[in-house]
Amino acid sequence: MSHDSYNPVPVKHKFFTPGVVGLIIIAVNGLVFLMGRFFFGIGSVTNLNNQYPWGLWIGVDVAAGVALAAGGFTTAALGHIIHKEEYHAIVRSALLTAMLGYTFVALGVFVDIGRWYFIWHPLIMWNGSSALFEVGICVMIYLTVLYIEFLPIVTERFIGRVNLPGILSKLNKPVDKLLRALDRGLSKTMFVFIIAGVVLSTLHQSSLGTLMIIAGPKMHPLWQTPILPLLFLLSAISVGFPMVIFESLIAARSLGLKPEMHILSRLGSMIAPLLGIYLAFKIGDMFIRETFVYLTEFNTASVMFTIEVLFGVIIPLRMFLSTKVLKSPLFIFIASSLVVFGVLINRINNFVVAYTPPYSSSSYFPSYGEISVTLGFVAMLVLAYRFIVLNFPVISLPGKATAPKTKYTIRGIK
Amino acid sequence: MMKKIISLLLVLFITITIQAQQSPGKDHSKLKVDCSTCHICDVPTKSDPCLIQCPREKITTVYQKPEQTPELITIDQLSDRYGPVYFSHKIHAQMSEMSGGCETCHHHNTSGPILKCSTCHSSTRKRDNVSVPDLKAAYHRQCMDCHREWSHDNGCNTCHTLKKDLKNGKQDPNLQKKYAGKNHPVVLEPTKLVYETNSDKGKIVTFYHDDHTKKFGLKCTTCHKQESCTKCHDVNRKDNKQPIKVITKRTFEEQHKNCISCHKKTENCSKCHSNKVLEPFDHAKKTGWPLNKYHINLSCVKCHGSAQPYKKVDNKCLSCHKSWFDGKFKHSVTGLQLDEIHIELSCDDCHSDNNFAVKPTCSSCHDDYSYPKQKPGKVIGKK
Amino acid sequence: MSGKSRRDFLKKSALVGAGIAGLSTSSAKAGPKNILSEDRMGVLVDTTVCIGCRQCEWACKEAHDLPAGDLESYKNREVFDNMRRPDHTALTVVNEYSPGKSSNLPVDVKVQCMHCDHPACVSACIVGAFTKHENGAVTWDTDMCIGCRYCMAACPFQIPAFEYDKALNPKIMKCDFCYDRTKEGKLPACVSICPVEALTYGTRTELVKIARERIKKDPDRYVDHIYGEYEVGGTSWMYLTSKDFAELDFPKLGNNPAPGVSESIQHGIFAYFVPPVSLYALLGGIMWMTKRRKELDEEEKL
Repeated sequence: MSHDSYNPVPVKHKFFTPGVVGLIIIAVNGLVFLMGRFFFGIGSVTNLNNQYPWGLWIGVDVAAGVALAAGGFTTAALGHIIHKEEYHAIVRSALLTAMLGYTFVALGVFVDIGRWYFIWHPLIMWNGSSALFEVGICVMIYLTVLYIEFLPIVTERFIGRVNLPGILSKLNKPVDKLLRALDRGLSKTMFVFIIAGVVLSTLHQSSLGTLMIIAGPKMHPLWQTPILPLLFLLSAISVGFPMVIFESLIAARSLGLKPEMHILSRLGSMIAPLLGIYLAFKIGDMFIRETFVYLTEFNTASVMFTIEVLFGVIIPLRMFLSTKVLKSPLFIFIASSLVVFGVLINRINNFVVAYTPPYSSSSYFPSYGEISVTLGFVAMLVLAYRFIVLNFPVISLPGKATAPKTKYTIRGIK
Repeated sequence: MMKKIISLLLVLFITITIQAQQSPGKDHSKLKVDCSTCHICDVPTKSDPCLIQCPREKITTVYQKPEQTPELITIDQLSDRYGPVYFSHKIHAQMSEMSGGCETCHHHNTSGPILKCSTCHSSTRKRDNVSVPDLKAAYHRQCMDCHREWSHDNGCNTCHTLKKDLKNGKQDPNLQKKYAGKNHPVVLEPTKLVYETNSDKGKIVTFYHDDHTKKFGLKCTTCHKQESCTKCHDVNRKDNKQPIKVITKRTFEEQHKNCISCHKKTENCSKCHSNKVLEPFDHAKKTGWPLNKYHINLSCVKCHGSAQPYKKVDNKCLSCHKSWFDGKFKHSVTGLQLDEIHIELSCDDCHSDNNFAVKPTCSSCHDDYSYPKQKPGKVIGKK
Repeated sequence: MSGKSRRDFLKKSALVGAGIAGLSTSSAKAGPKNILSEDRMGVLVDTTVCIGCRQCEWACKEAHDLPAGDLESYKNREVFDNMRRPDHTALTVVNEYSPGKSSNLPVDVKVQCMHCDHPACVSACIVGAFTKHENGAVTWDTDMCIGCRYCMAACPFQIPAFEYDKALNPKIMKCDFCYDRTKEGKLPACVSICPVEALTYGTRTELVKIARERIKKDPDRYVDHIYGEYEVGGTSWMYLTSKDFAELDFPKLGNNPAPGVSESIQHGIFAYFVPPVSLYALLGGIMWMTKRRKELDEEEKL
């Protein structure tokens, strides 16, 4: 089988490049503003106020972050549940994206909430009617699940190679034993976590849509609809594969690898129907609620809605229907980027643009500090991704049989 | 025995307290008040008096002239943060003449003596029946509506003095004198008002104000209902930046409301509307009967009755002067003192058919006498 | 080997399913209270009576240990030049508008939490820090709050305020209907100080009756609408005015409770955890079947 020739290995490439230095500068800039937030309060670095309690951090860091990390659960469903083994080569990198994505979502929440030291409260203080509680608890569990799913990659990296320095070297053997035990246990139970991961994702991806429903008339009718949870779930599912394609192509380019086009093309061919379903619901909802009348007005809302649907859904949908696009690394990258862009704009629209509080004297635009922190997080995420693929067996390369044993992929289903 | 006395006293006490609840008195059914002003049902009984809820806006009150009312009232029941308030009652009563009259404040009263505000308005805010404002609110509501319009602020110091600013805990006695002696200046009455309207029946409406008040006998409040101080006083005084606009856009009904109560809607528009300034009412021109120096000073209602429409009156003196019969009329007021013989005669001996408008005849006694060649007495001239 | 793993699979799936089901029963009991007592209290604000003296603002600050300043300083009428909203320094504010019908006097409107009968904040709060009490008050527990500000996004009246300038222990602030005072039998501070009793404190049912009576008796004075009687399912605070409510910056809201739609969706998705558990079972089934087919394929090959 073709996938047998692909094995995940740590990529051999130098860490520092001019691009990486640029990312580090962006990350440090973000950290400076983060310090401002923690020392002087949220008001000192953001444009948030009593009218606009949520801004860029919730819209992008959290909402868009969760959506764009959807690649993790869609590929897991494809690779492990529907059991298409040919996609195993990309499961690990998708898993890493999801894991890092959710980690930064959690960090985003951590900096946005006023009492960050109480972030654990939802674990013991439950409110079943709150959509946010559901999102919060699901994200917490799912993040744990993602770490558990990632653990075999860590054990695989270190089994037989535990080499602690100095006095700790006495612990080498026990640690190795521990790792092996962990590995054995995980491989038998992994399927439980994989299914749980998919269920949890479906739940919170949709509940993220329920969040803004309670804002009622404060939300622009172009977006405010009772089927928001369904739209959020459908858009998350359809952005999963484009995100994997987007991320693999960038990683391939950056690390000097040959893009795995045969897998990406096949992934790409599944995007059009998913986008189609999403678009059908979106347009159908618009016609049932007759909100298309708002598109005849010319304002921020109508422009943003048009951009979101036209560039984020319709154009990439047409592109993914063409075999020429699916075969070309450049075109499939553009099409995927458009879907990613579309979902990003959709989440910004839902949480920031559509939200029109009744007493605002001026509209909200993120401050320099907010943008810096968001960009800083993105930069840190990319750096972490780069560090992990250079040091852990995440990306599959053709031919080279490395790593101690291939059985450590995910044994529970083999 | 003791128990019995106590219970008896208790019953008596309760009856008294119940009685005290604004009872208008035993014989109030004989008063000149329509029953329906207080009672909803036709037959009120003692157990179910079916009273209309307070405040009963339309209740008739005992009208007193402002000068008859107390000059100064000290309000100190609720004294807490502030010292007592001196309320200059007389001048306020004078002010209310142009507005709602006594009822403006005494909105719940029977025809009996003036009730205290605290009879209905509780002095505690936390209470069971909150449909009626408490005493503090009742006082303030009465004051603030006008005072806000008058002075454009709602500062407490206009009426109140902080307790800490009081001298020996007592209000300045000069203040009492100052308030007690206050009178509203006499309102100068206009004689003629010329309104410009946009009516196509005639742009100009001439309104003779003094005719209406002096001759037609209208009271100020007949037209000037619920009028605020700002109607006459400069509303732009003090540091008020935005002058309060008086609403001028009124409907036909609102415009004509005051006139129509007397001038029936069916009357000709040209009675008031014209293209030039109209003359005042002239009895001679309108009726052909010039009024003499006595009649001209009378108000119309004296002869024509107060009920609308006015009663038509003929030119016979006895129609009005019903008592002017033999011996009761002092003929000297006409400028002619009757001599001893003529004074014994009855009126219609000379004035046939008691028609005093025509010349008296002498022919019933004298053959060739005629008035005024021969006179039945001495001419003394009119006084 | 393969047979054993399949049995394992079923056993473990069942265990997880049972675990989640176990969670659901406890979550049914959890969550904030929302009690609607028959004789819950309310306040009727008659803006035609209000004189805009702002003493309620002062009394509110005094009662909530906020810097209040001198009562005399509240005479300043320049504050009315700008529309103000309640925030962390003032839980209630009075705004002034141009005169309504049949009066030359400006209309003054006191703004504070409406204390909804079905509060969006209670439904939205991630940790259930908000509570609708039996006496009508909607309060919140600062110790539970994580500062996520979802209540602010959810509130149809945009009332909860946040201390954005505080790095540590920033609080959500809003009118608490003087919960501590009323518990001691006192009146809310604003009601107690109001010189004209523009704020009438009483049972909600009684207040609705009084409001109707006032409109009936004086139709020239009032707009025939009690704001808060039905808005978002009813609120404890209700308003009478001489002017269209939209001109006084009252949001136009329907009669359905604000959290209605989102709660029904929420409870639909989590109906006793049946949908998530069934999804879990379904995915498990698919996984088991695809795996079995693969094994059969491989056995055939061998």
